[in-house]
Amino acid sequence: MNRNYLFLTLLMLVLAIGTFFIKKDDVYKNQIKPETLLQVITQPSRYVTTDQVAKRIIEKDPTLELIDVRLPGDFDKFTLPDAINVPLKDIFTDKGQDNLGIEDLNVVFFSNDDIIADQAWVIATRLGYKNMYVMKGGLNCWIETIINPTMPPETASEIEFEQFRFRKAASLYFTGGSTTQPVSVTKAKVKVRRKKKEKAASGGC
Amino acid sequence: MHVHERNPKRTLITILLFALVIVFGWITMKKPRFNYALTPQQTVDMVINHRGCFHPYELEKVLNHKGGDVILIDIRNNFDFAKGHIPGALNITSVNLLNEENIKQLDEWKKNNVKVVFYHDDQLQANGAWMLFRQIGYSNTYVLLGGYRYFASYKDNLKQSEGTCLKGTAKYDFATVAKKSVAGFGDVSTSKPAKKVKVRRKKKEKAASGGC
Repeated sequence: MNRNYLFLTLLMLVLAIGTFFIKKDDVYKNQIKPETLLQVITQPSRYVTTDQVAKRIIEKDPTLELIDVRLPGDFDKFTLPDAINVPLKDIFTDKGQDNLGIEDLNVVFFSNDDIIADQAWVIATRLGYKNMYVMKGGLNCWIETIINPTMPPETASEIEFEQFRFRKAASLYFTGGSTTQPVSVTKAKVKVRRKKKEKAASGGC
Repeated sequence: MHVHERNPKRTLITILLFALVIVFGWITMKKPRFNYALTPQQTVDMVINHRGCFHPYELEKVLNHKGGDVILIDIRNNFDFAKGHIPGALNITSVNLLNEENIKQLDEWKKNNVKVVFYHDDQLQANGAWMLFRQIGYSNTYVLLGGYRYFASYKDNLKQSEGTCLKGTAKYDFATVAKKSVAGFGDVSTSKPAKKVKVRRKKKEKAASGGC
């Protein structure tokens, strides 16, 4: 056997094995490039209004996954219907990540206002998760617009009144859930005016 | 004897060519422009501990040129910048932040320990850009709490209403407000315009407060 051949074979083997180690340091394999992240971050498309969220809760949209990123103590006191609680500090643990990236589900992050939800969104987006949104204004805005909507001034446009009627009905829907008059609750539900999408985008916090 | 061993240099040439290809590939391998310096969990820790927040009152020093090395960067578009901005701020629209010349400048500031403060209309809109820069290793970047909107409203006394610009806090006791509404709707007067519910301002709890 020629010694040169042996050496050549060995060299190739070492290099081939070496390629296994090249990608090893890439733990987060779906992570997107910082340049791409900046592109996505500068788009406001991740924000959804409280009206949009309310509408989808009322419609019992099965693709909606609400994630409350506040602390468990706050979550126990009040949260949105069917929301799950994953505090920001736990989202990116292995267990927390199970809640993200589920096929056909649209994740909506929310917190007291929108800043912590937005932070969760930025990191999750960096990790390559898709179909995630942030509820603009958070629960503060939820209380102001959905639970206690204010009547628009008389000079307001028809769209604003339409929006107010929706909010009023939604308010009944959400606050009536725990009263002892289930009849009125169902009625309230029927009264809900379906709004067109572009209208939902107007107003809010 | 094999036929090709008549030329013993042949194998050597093959080895050399092979090595050359490998080295060439190694050199021309595309290196990413930026690498993440913080893991997701480190990023979470950073925002939970409010590292990297720049409070509006700190601006007073900067505006009086006593703040040391602080650079303000307005990441809104040129149009908004032209309408009004914090005195002394530079304008780099957020989409252009990673451009070559801007990165060169940012690298220089980083080397010289210059604090770089990003701001937009409010904290939320500057949050993403700031988090991105922190994650790719620019630990000298900060985000202005309250953003330009707060500055524009309170520029004469930035300390005054600082509480209003801190994000992340609950403005209401959600559970109580939601319950009170139930009581309100229980009345006969459902057709009345929105009943104002008295809002109990919650005192800021340390755990939930702030956030950036």
